[in-house]
Amino acid sequence: MNAYTAQAAINVKLTFRDRTVIFFNYLFPLVFFFIFAQLYHAEQGGAIIQVLTMVLSIGILGSGFFGAGIRAVQEREANILRRFKVAPISAAPMLFASLLTGLLNFLPSAVMMLLLSHYIYGMAFPDRWLSLLIFVAIGAVAFRSIGLMIASVVNSMQESQIVIQLIYFPMLFLSGTTIPISIMPNWVQIIAHFIPATYLMTGMQSILGHKESLAQNAEPAGALLLTTVLATFLGVKLFRWEKEEKISGASKLWLLAVLSPFLLLGTYQAYTKTDVTKARVLNRDILRDRNVLIRNVRIFIGDGRVIESGAVLVKGGKIAHVYDGAAPDPKELKAEAIEASGKTLLPGLIDVHVHLAAPGGFSDSASDYEPGKTMPRALAAYLYSGITAVKSVGDPLDQILKVRTLVNSGERLGAELFTTGPMFTAAGGHGTEYFKNLPEQARKAAEDQTVRTPQTPDEARQQVDVLKQRGVDGIKTILEAGQAGMLFNRMDVNILRAIAEESRAQQLPLVIHTGDSRDVADALSAGTRGIEHGSARDKIPDELFAQMKAQGVAYDPTLTVLENLTALINGSSDPLERPLVLQSAPAALLDSTKKFLQSDKGAKMRDQMKLYHLNMDAAKDNLRRAWQSGVMLVTGSDAGNPLTLHGPTIQREVELWVEAGIPPAVALQAATYNAAKLLGQENRIGLIQEGHDANLLLVDGNPLKEIKQIESIQSVMLKGERISRSELFEQE
Amino acid sequence: MNGNGSVISVRGLRKSYGTFEAVRGISFEVQPGEVFGLLGPNGAGKTTTVEILEGLRQRSAGETLVLGYDPGLETRQIKDRIGVCLQATNLPDKIKVHEALELFSAFYSRNTDNKKLLERLQLTEKRNEYYSKLSGGQKQRVALALALVNDPQLLFLDEPTTGLDPQVRLEIHGLIQELRDAKRSILLTTHYIEEAERLCDRVAIIDEGQIIEIGSPREIQQRTLGTSLIEIQCEQPVPAGDPPPFLNGETHEFSADRKSLTVHSAHPARAIVDIVKWIDQLGIGLADIHLKRPTLEDVFIQLTGKRLRE
Repeated sequence: MNAYTAQAAINVKLTFRDRTVIFFNYLFPLVFFFIFAQLYHAEQGGAIIQVLTMVLSIGILGSGFFGAGIRAVQEREANILRRFKVAPISAAPMLFASLLTGLLNFLPSAVMMLLLSHYIYGMAFPDRWLSLLIFVAIGAVAFRSIGLMIASVVNSMQESQIVIQLIYFPMLFLSGTTIPISIMPNWVQIIAHFIPATYLMTGMQSILGHKESLAQNAEPAGALLLTTVLATFLGVKLFRWEKEEKISGASKLWLLAVLSPFLLLGTYQAYTKTDVTKARVLNRDILRDRNVLIRNVRIFIGDGRVIESGAVLVKGGKIAHVYDGAAPDPKELKAEAIEASGKTLLPGLIDVHVHLAAPGGFSDSASDYEPGKTMPRALAAYLYSGITAVKSVGDPLDQILKVRTLVNSGERLGAELFTTGPMFTAAGGHGTEYFKNLPEQARKAAEDQTVRTPQTPDEARQQVDVLKQRGVDGIKTILEAGQAGMLFNRMDVNILRAIAEESRAQQLPLVIHTGDSRDVADALSAGTRGIEHGSARDKIPDELFAQMKAQGVAYDPTLTVLENLTALINGSSDPLERPLVLQSAPAALLDSTKKFLQSDKGAKMRDQMKLYHLNMDAAKDNLRRAWQSGVMLVTGSDAGNPLTLHGPTIQREVELWVEAGIPPAVALQAATYNAAKLLGQENRIGLIQEGHDANLLLVDGNPLKEIKQIESIQSVMLKGERISRSELFEQE
Repeated sequence: MNGNGSVISVRGLRKSYGTFEAVRGISFEVQPGEVFGLLGPNGAGKTTTVEILEGLRQRSAGETLVLGYDPGLETRQIKDRIGVCLQATNLPDKIKVHEALELFSAFYSRNTDNKKLLERLQLTEKRNEYYSKLSGGQKQRVALALALVNDPQLLFLDEPTTGLDPQVRLEIHGLIQELRDAKRSILLTTHYIEEAERLCDRVAIIDEGQIIEIGSPREIQQRTLGTSLIEIQCEQPVPAGDPPPFLNGETHEFSADRKSLTVHSAHPARAIVDIVKWIDQLGIGLADIHLKRPTLEDVFIQLTGKRLRE
């Protein structure tokens, strides 16, 4: 045996003989494990991952700072190291032995916690268990080396206590080890990313929760390894065998050198925020992974079926079971129970026609037109209103894709976003008029983001292909010539046909904006999945509806925008006074919009708008006949247009449908299952059915009888997370 | 072995800590098989000197050679070859005696039979005992055993009996005597006079970083103050009158009852014969006679004007 193996062997033996080591390594984390498990309701779902990683992190920190650091100081103060000083060895075997012992002590404890998480709290065994164990091992060794390094630069037990507390407490409280960092203020999150334990937490959670590999966590693992090397090297260099040997106070600055990988990583994170994002997403996953039982509730399935009294079990963000009648005991199901008698549960509503970049109101503040800010805010307003998915059909491409990632990843809370990106139209067609007054360069940039004006069928095909590559969810084309006083160039039907063919080939659902029945006829013959707006000018012949039904084309009448534009023309601010609008729209925007309506500019705009012939009765008539013809109906609002604010759009849309004579159940099916179908997502959303995302809207009363009840929102759930609606607008 | 045959050779050794000079020019040599003592009060510079020789501290000036190596440079070679018993060291509470020996054996290039070592130090019975459960004497025996795991030619024993009970101290003395009989070279520091007198072939008396006297304990005693003390107890009072017939300028005094007599003599053996004869002639019964040689303590007081254990 050489000095390394002998020292390591005896060290391991000694620690297993030491009752305090057993206590702190095994019993202590166990106590925390059960406390946290109860605190975070680990038995009700995914919080167990959080509990497990918290306890592992506490164990690693304890082993490092107390098991290695304080202990090394103790051995020096007790004159034990002094005996080793006269032997022909360096400090290296002493440090090596401590690192190895820590690891051998901690890994069984980690495995024990893992097994408890699995067997008691039903956590799935980690797919990447080897990655997890290696990462945990790297963490354990890194923090031990930091502890030993501290022991090497302090002069007394008292000093070591001070230095260790100074480092230990921030690591404990600002790293996510005891409080998830995603709930902390922004500036704390920035500080957190200078703290090694933060990376330990996100690393473990990513491997456990996101099934990431060690390689995907190379950054934190690398930083931890580098710290280990630096700390061990300096720990050996500065090692002292006797308490009488003192070290200068300035040598404590070497600690900064040891933590330098994290100072660099923290600085990098302060700019990129990738780990902050990761931490938010991981925390969101945990919030979504809760077991909930909503019981004694009327269930509107989405496809027309209704369970008068039943229950829905949500697990892992999905609908796990739908009970017709009484459900088992929630305790047995390990679920939190929500009593919902007298209430109606629906699939989250879907708006298939919005323009997120437009505010829906008027404002003098440039920030109200800043898509990076307003689009996430708009998606939060939808979610607040129980609209859990929206489709943007004409928004600046780069920004809308960014927002889609931001929200759909779970980093930010908001309605799930689908988008077509820009809209296809003719040069000088509808959609281009918004930019024509901009300076040349700004106009070009804006058009490039928001419209596509192909000159030939080939160019059209190519543009569809490029959009497919960018990852859009569908294609939107405008086909209308406007009307007297507001004429547009209409798209060439050959180009339209090319777009339709290429969209089909690329499996991108195409929807076509139409202005009148001629547009509808051309759209149908080109081949489309959806008709947007239909016509509010003329009567769409029954034959066209029959064709729509035959081709399985969806009809989206967007009555809301008609009503609101009519209000604008009449100088009415009624659309702004609806309770859910008042709750979900930015107050400043509401104010500035009301002021605008009373201003000279508002009057001028009203005069221009009067040229439009907006015929709500014609639109309602077309809708009614579409329904009678058996056409698949879907709900869209065209929000973003003046006075159609992002928020409770579909509530108003279905109310208008019911006014038009459509039965509430039909309208609500259009807003859920049918809309999901148009998005091509009917296997995941739009239905309360086993295996579907738990996107749910709970309202008071029975909207099937009294449609107004769709506005009495009790609770909104997105992917299993019960949304704290009041906090939605506080997201940074 | 050093060039001149000594195991330790020190010339003009100095060590300063800042402005404080702990060792101020010490020179001595230790021969193979010799037990050499450094005697002096706490803070005299003994431990500093020893630690320099063990390779634990750097000297400020002077020349040192230990087993042919320079302790300032060839630390590892020296550590590997010497045995050291430090004052006030500890081992982890839960280490067993035999484990401690095995652990330390692993650090050295040369080993001895640990079983025999335990036997020799009477630790065989305690070999499976935790260190924390041992008595003070047993712990010190373990410390000695650890100093011997590499079968060293040269041993440094720094205050080996400080803080131990008199009984245990005797025990340790016995062990050191055994080592001396086995012809190991030993450098021993102590502030116990008896220890130096009993165990050391030669002694250097150190005070304030300097050697003030060096030689065998007997030589030192005779060189510095050569008078022994003879105490005589008589059964009856000695009548006043003729003084005893001393030949070598001895001085004497009687107690108040004239039953006891104290004599200071440079040649106590001769004087005792004369005193006994004289008392016999006076027809007085001799109750007791006691010879007290001058101790190193006395020497130390004589040389420095202070006591060792102040």
